[in-house]
Amino acid sequence: MSHQPVAVVGIGQTHHKKRRADVSIAGLVREAAQRALEDADMDWGDIDAVVLGKAPDLFEGVMKPEMYLADALGANGKPMFRVHTAGSVGGSTGIVGSHLVSSGRHKRVLSVAWEKQSEGNAQFALGGGKSGSIGAGGAFAPFIRAYIRRSGAPEDIGWKVAVKDRLNGAKNPYAHLKLADITIEKVKESPMMWDPLHFLESCPSSDGACAVVFTDEAGGKAAAKPPAWVLATAMKSEPSTFAGRDAVNPKAAHACSDEIYKQIGVTNPREQIDCAELYVPFSWYEPMWLEAHDIAAPGEGWKMTDSGATALDGDFPVNMSGGVLSSNPIGASGLLRFSEAALQVRGLAGEHQVPGAKLAIAQAYGANAQFYAMWAVGSSLDPLGS
Amino acid sequence: MTDTSIADPSNDMEPFNLQFPFTRTLGNTLSTFFSAVAQGQLIGVKVGGRVIAPPLEYDPETGADAGSEWVKVGPRGTVSAWTYVPEPTHLHPVQGPFAFAFVTLDGADTPMIHVVEAPEDQLRSGLRVEARFKEGDEVNGRIDDFVFVPATDPSPSEGAGEPYQAPAEPEIQTMDAYCDLTYVDNAAPVTRVWTQALLEGKLVGRTCPQCGRTFVGAVSLCCVDAIELDESTQSEMPQTGVVTNFTVITPVPYPGQKETEPFVRCSVMLDGTDAVLGQQTIVGIPASEVRVGMHVALEWEPEGQRDVSEIGNGGHGSTGGAVVGWKPTGEPDEPAENYVDRMM
Amino acid sequence: MPRTENDIAIVSYAQSPLLRRSENTETEMMLSTVQGAIKAAGLGKGDIGFTVSGSCDYLSGRGFSFVANVDAYGAYPPINESHVEMDGSFAMYEAFVRLLQGDIDTAVAAGVGKTSNSDPATLYTIEMDPYYLTPLGADVASLSALQYRALLDSGKVTERDVAEVVARNRRAAKDNLNAQVSGDFDVDELLAAPYVRNPLRRHDLPPVTDGCAAVVLARGQKAYELCERPVWITGIDHRIEPHLPTMRQDLTSSVSTRLAAEGAGVASGPVEVAEIHAPFSFQELIVREALGLGDDTEINPSGGALAANPVMVTGLLRVIEAAKQIAENGRSRTLAHTTSGPCLQQNLVCILEGDQ
Ligand SMILES: [Zn+2]
Repeated sequence: MSHQPVAVVGIGQTHHKKRRADVSIAGLVREAAQRALEDADMDWGDIDAVVLGKAPDLFEGVMKPEMYLADALGANGKPMFRVHTAGSVGGSTGIVGSHLVSSGRHKRVLSVAWEKQSEGNAQFALGGGKSGSIGAGGAFAPFIRAYIRRSGAPEDIGWKVAVKDRLNGAKNPYAHLKLADITIEKVKESPMMWDPLHFLESCPSSDGACAVVFTDEAGGKAAAKPPAWVLATAMKSEPSTFAGRDAVNPKAAHACSDEIYKQIGVTNPREQIDCAELYVPFSWYEPMWLEAHDIAAPGEGWKMTDSGATALDGDFPVNMSGGVLSSNPIGASGLLRFSEAALQVRGLAGEHQVPGAKLAIAQAYGANAQFYAMWAVGSSLDPLGS
Repeated sequence: MTDTSIADPSNDMEPFNLQFPFTRTLGNTLSTFFSAVAQGQLIGVKVGGRVIAPPLEYDPETGADAGSEWVKVGPRGTVSAWTYVPEPTHLHPVQGPFAFAFVTLDGADTPMIHVVEAPEDQLRSGLRVEARFKEGDEVNGRIDDFVFVPATDPSPSEGAGEPYQAPAEPEIQTMDAYCDLTYVDNAAPVTRVWTQALLEGKLVGRTCPQCGRTFVGAVSLCCVDAIELDESTQSEMPQTGVVTNFTVITPVPYPGQKETEPFVRCSVMLDGTDAVLGQQTIVGIPASEVRVGMHVALEWEPEGQRDVSEIGNGGHGSTGGAVVGWKPTGEPDEPAENYVDRMM
Repeated sequence: MPRTENDIAIVSYAQSPLLRRSENTETEMMLSTVQGAIKAAGLGKGDIGFTVSGSCDYLSGRGFSFVANVDAYGAYPPINESHVEMDGSFAMYEAFVRLLQGDIDTAVAAGVGKTSNSDPATLYTIEMDPYYLTPLGADVASLSALQYRALLDSGKVTERDVAEVVARNRRAAKDNLNAQVSGDFDVDELLAAPYVRNPLRRHDLPPVTDGCAAVVLARGQKAYELCERPVWITGIDHRIEPHLPTMRQDLTSSVSTRLAAEGAGVASGPVEVAEIHAPFSFQELIVREALGLGDDTEINPSGGALAANPVMVTGLLRVIEAAKQIAENGRSRTLAHTTSGPCLQQNLVCILEGDQ
């Protein structure tokens, strides 16, 4: 078959902030794209096709903004594609970009994902433009309440995740929140937003963009800096709601990681995978995803968090970048996860580098915890040495 | 459902106005341009050997940075294409008939799309026009701060093509963008059935003949089996249930937000069914006392005061203004662990 | 040419009725159409390797509007799934690329649009440059009219040529059961109609249409198992141009269509039928020239976008109409075209072939 190896040779992101008052929308996406091109030692003219991802257009009030952004992203005369799969969209944008190379359609593809939330108001958009929006926190809080009761986890697990991710974020020069002085006490004392979620257990609202340059095998081997190899990709979905749907430990989440593990021959994720970037917009999602992706046994995810295993110096670091809890330009958040996994296996993650990371996974999810995108990246095409 | 039917206009819902005041930040190029506009000066940027006006941050041909070699353009220019808008909408910047045109400003190599106020019979390619700027309080530093009108003097603009010295800190840094769109949806047949039942003080659900799941609300299909659920699958649902899960939401202010105090949204499993209604309102009890396992009963608005106008298509069990909410019955709670996993 | 496992074909298709205003929601239109296409291929929902749809939040005015449409797939157990904020023909492009990964052999792609909820005179102003065009209320008809004016001024076509395009599409639409607008129209009478945006007349604009369409794709041998005469996608490409119409190299010729046509290999054989997505009548002439089609190519036997224009679906309908010509009408090589954005900013070209 035509499936060919794909390399990540360039990664760029903006400095994420509550409000990037210094840029237009075009300026924001170009900042990330230009950093990715620079990282790949390429110019606009080297790119064959562009894939753009973002969450609902209602966030900025620009319909199908890839139209306006086409020439801003150097796409004149090229294919330009627009993905929208809710919160998982950043991940989907990376996967669709990588498929354009693995299918042999193109040699060099630029995927860009972004959100400029400060232009509008996400709560407004999530509430369908009407009063009484419950927001993402209100939608996910019941799932978290169910997880806590199901697992018997102590209440401080969520606070610990909130602290750990913010301390990681403080090491990431691009992170929106840099809360180096955060403490369990501060999280616990922060206002209750969506019971049981406190303010500091919730993601910020950010302006930001992320960009990735993909090449074929020859491009990866010729790259000046170490590439990350895309070893597996998967996108899975299930309906929002039906009687008996388990939204805490959704089947689609399992199916997504099952497929990833099968593609790369992983049988013991916790042992064989070096680190993971998981989409954790609310603290408790760390243990929930550890279980949904079979990194921990059912009911045991919180114990990994509790023991420090998921810290940067733990045996299975999670969200080394600081995660969604530190930066959340919604549409870009998935690609930021995917990019961090790639940075890790490239050995280019700077202060938040996991020493010697060879195999990393990244995940993004969306809507009613029903859309999933995942990939696995390696420092070589065979990081498990099989 | 019958896909062949054309909606009866009497089933149209109330128009929905999607209105939001966006605030755009501009970046250096747009800030420089709009700040110049606020001073009554039009500018372009020299990129790839030509002057683009209004300026872009990038060369549209290549994506390369356009830089900041600003050039004065206009205020006069030449129309190269035009169309006429006899009846403007509320989104157009002028109220009476006007033209849109391609106007190539003196000193620029590319045209801009803008408004020309001129009688239709004067419009032609080659027409000389000049920018007429807003003044005083009307100046916003936006693209609609000016319109073009036929030039009283067709001669070349003075100073066009000369370099423009931009201020270090351009005055205009943001742009207000008011989104104002109107939508009119029509109530789908299942939505009409659901809202009619609510007006009569009933809850109805449809049970899938394949998987046996019951869907309560304006739902006409089984999302597991991908089959239609028609009215033959419908039955009346009980109006008592058990709270399976909830959250207390602290409202965030945003345009159009009416909630100011923390409010509860809970899931209720209807007695004797497998159906769970999400995002329900609970009444008659402080937010801090809401519990999983609590028995509740539906309290309706009085007949004649049930408002179903806010219920749109596809809402899973939205009861709108037909009910007051779910009220605790006072019966002993069910064990929470039997219910907490049933958030849906 | 013998087909390989890298060759991908359309094996079935379905479309909803195309109505000025459907009673049903997008999800309901999706249910009957997507499942209809799957059933037409002799498959069930669980047999599909990848599902992707195209739709647009701003058509309904609700963020995440596509999420409910997943209900039409019966996505449990979970499925491989994606969504594009683009026409269904671009969803088909993603399905095509996904099939090339080689791990699955069937996919379904759909497009859906409940266009009637919004007002096209105002909605598309927010699809334009948010700093330079949206604040002017620059509507899609006005921008198209400017393009039409530029085309007339170029001397390449006359208003009569364009009226003939309208008359031909509407005449052809008489044979299309799904057409909203059809009939015999006299060119002189069309030319006597008043302008709505000089030089555009009402009949140069597309109708407002609600609708849905879906295709099932299969790879290699699987295509022969699922249908008698697979419609092979032998070429597909899409290209975009600068957003501002004033920044295009030449607004009266579609550079992106020409590039996409080259990428799709249009010129490597005769094209018997071309289904062109031209929401504004005159654009058909620009696209036709850019595609390099000769006089022997029949254009829009369906009546095209002037007969029915469900936004986010119209392009996929062109694919289905061009596929029908092969599957049901004995043709062997046809073309489908989709456009998006103001003044033909983005264009997709697809070449379909049947086995000899
Ligand atoms: Zn069922």
